[in-house]
Amino acid sequence: MKLVKLALRNLLRQKRRSILLGSAIAFGILFITLINSFTGSFIENVGENFSHLMAGHIFIDGVEKSPSGKDLYLIRDDKLIMEAIESSGIEYEFLTKRSEIRGTILFEGNGINQSIIGADWEKESYFKDRIILEDGSFDNLSDPRGIIVSSKIADRLNVQLGDHVIVKMQTYTGQQTAGDFTIAAVSIDTGLFGSISCYANIEYVNELLNIDSDKYLTLGIYLPDLIDTDMATNLLLPELQDRMSLFSRETNEDENPFMAILEQQETEEWIGVKYRLTTINDVLSEVEEIVRILNIAGLIIMLVLFAIIMVGITNTFRMVMFERIQEIGTMRAVGMHRSEVRALFLFEAFFLALGGIIAGYILSGITMFIISQVYWGVDTPLFMLLKNGYMTFKLAPLQVLLNFVIVTILTLLAAFRPADKAAKLEPGLALSTEK
Amino acid sequence: MQNSFTFLHIKKAVFFITLIFSLVLLPALSPDNYGQILQDIDNLQNFGDNDFTTIYTIVSEKPGEEREVLEVRLFRRDVGDLFLMIIISPEVQKGQGFLQLEDNLWFYDPESRKFEHSSAKENIQNSDAKNNDLMVQTMADDYDVVSHEEGVLGNVPVYILKLEAKNDEVPYPEMKLWVRQTPTLPMKSDEYGYSGRLMRSSAYLNYVKVGEKYLPTRILMVDMLNVGEKTQITMTNPSIGALPDYVFTKAYLEKVNK
Repeated sequence: MKLVKLALRNLLRQKRRSILLGSAIAFGILFITLINSFTGSFIENVGENFSHLMAGHIFIDGVEKSPSGKDLYLIRDDKLIMEAIESSGIEYEFLTKRSEIRGTILFEGNGINQSIIGADWEKESYFKDRIILEDGSFDNLSDPRGIIVSSKIADRLNVQLGDHVIVKMQTYTGQQTAGDFTIAAVSIDTGLFGSISCYANIEYVNELLNIDSDKYLTLGIYLPDLIDTDMATNLLLPELQDRMSLFSRETNEDENPFMAILEQQETEEWIGVKYRLTTINDVLSEVEEIVRILNIAGLIIMLVLFAIIMVGITNTFRMVMFERIQEIGTMRAVGMHRSEVRALFLFEAFFLALGGIIAGYILSGITMFIISQVYWGVDTPLFMLLKNGYMTFKLAPLQVLLNFVIVTILTLLAAFRPADKAAKLEPGLALSTEK
Repeated sequence: MQNSFTFLHIKKAVFFITLIFSLVLLPALSPDNYGQILQDIDNLQNFGDNDFTTIYTIVSEKPGEEREVLEVRLFRRDVGDLFLMIIISPEVQKGQGFLQLEDNLWFYDPESRKFEHSSAKENIQNSDAKNNDLMVQTMADDYDVVSHEEGVLGNVPVYILKLEAKNDEVPYPEMKLWVRQTPTLPMKSDEYGYSGRLMRSSAYLNYVKVGEKYLPTRILMVDMLNVGEKTQITMTNPSIGALPDYVFTKAYLEKVNK
């Protein structure tokens, strides 16, 4: 207790120096905490935004083989799928039925490759809120050939509301065809995923794909929460397996179920239709990899930062030792043990680290609060990383503890050599040393 | 008496000659047999037992984009429907290839070292040419003649045939074809999409005789939807020398990339 008091008193004796060292530690903590907190909410936000764009958390497609072995996607009859969903007992908010065109939108010599999602906008009215329009309105989709394009595409094609564009594309079986669309609205570009930002009426999309109006390509199940995805998948999978031929979601250790299914599609031969179940988490596993890389990069930067801070701490403690050399000599002369001198220095380093870490976390909290109040908008390239236009942060308690331990150990290591040197000083020599 | 006998014989001969001509020529010109023209086109371009090798240069132009030049080496063994096409330039796509084995057309990418299913209906890279354009022609199997007429293209007498696809394994469900009468070689084709819209117009500008067969050495394909978009295919170094069997294997496609 005596040593703790002494250590605190010593730190307060040189307030300016202690504050400077503590600030360096606080800055390091601020940096790593912001990275960890941002990546903590990264997956959640990307997942939610993705599920809005893709209109679901769980997706079911029917795959058939063409005579030449090419995969053709089509759900001809969803009766069995609906039965399986009901039997599984999963709770969902919406079921979405969508078809998709991949083609080239042409207008006056300009062309752009694009996916066009066909949906029943009367039934999927809730998704209208997720597509923010810059110009025009959803009412214009009453034109069966209306199309919503993103502002980026509108700029590149130089189109305005009411312009007629041609889409060069293929039918469901891969034959060439072309469709005529009218620009019904222009949506705000979502940046990262602009290639899936054209929307049209499913009836016309189906007509162009040469499939009946009651058929579609993908069934999306929109769950109440992203976190329910794996549980709902586990409930639904056996129900589907009982009723239809389904691609296996079993994977090797480092394989993603989506990639495993694609592999099966390439290698397997089958007759009729075989279904595949994919989830938003299959896509997010790639995002998780990005998060992992970001966290590792953050940790490396923190270590480099602390290597620099450690040099500062070591030098400061060597200076402190020289400044207090006679004081150390006196303490040793009146009976203080070497280990106590070493401990005194290390306690000082520990309190320095503790103060810096606490200040760092407080600063991080304030910074995150301020940033989270800023509305970044929905037309920013960061859109997919935001929650309704706001940046959010999420920090795991374990991460807080880990950063605390790392920074404390590094500070103690930095102070150890000067502390050890101080402990090994001969009292007589220390007392006779002139500063 | 002798004269009337001779006259009767001449009349009979004329009748039989007319009958024979009617039997031979009329069916040939009837709509049912215009399909034979398609068969003739196929036969004139099908090498049967002989292997065929050539190099195609595909130059595509799109408005606002740089001209793209793709060079491919092609190997064909028509008797077994075997087809191999390897990209030899540009460098960035070098080694990518398409291999037809039985009914499957495989695309190989040396980057991923994986084979993926492809289709004869797909475009060759970013051009307007389809894989199908360079493969052995099977027009008689794929199309029905739904109407026909005779006409002139330039100063060449042609059959003008309207075709409808019998299956959906061809890129264009409808086609209008101008065919030189002798030999029966396509000179021009207008290709229509499923929606009935004219998608592409192709002109077969030159032919070369390779062995007993004819192949177009220069084809100009014009995109009818995007003004200014066109592709020209030029064939060089055609040869009908025998190829080893291993050329038409996945292993060969992988090996040429090592």
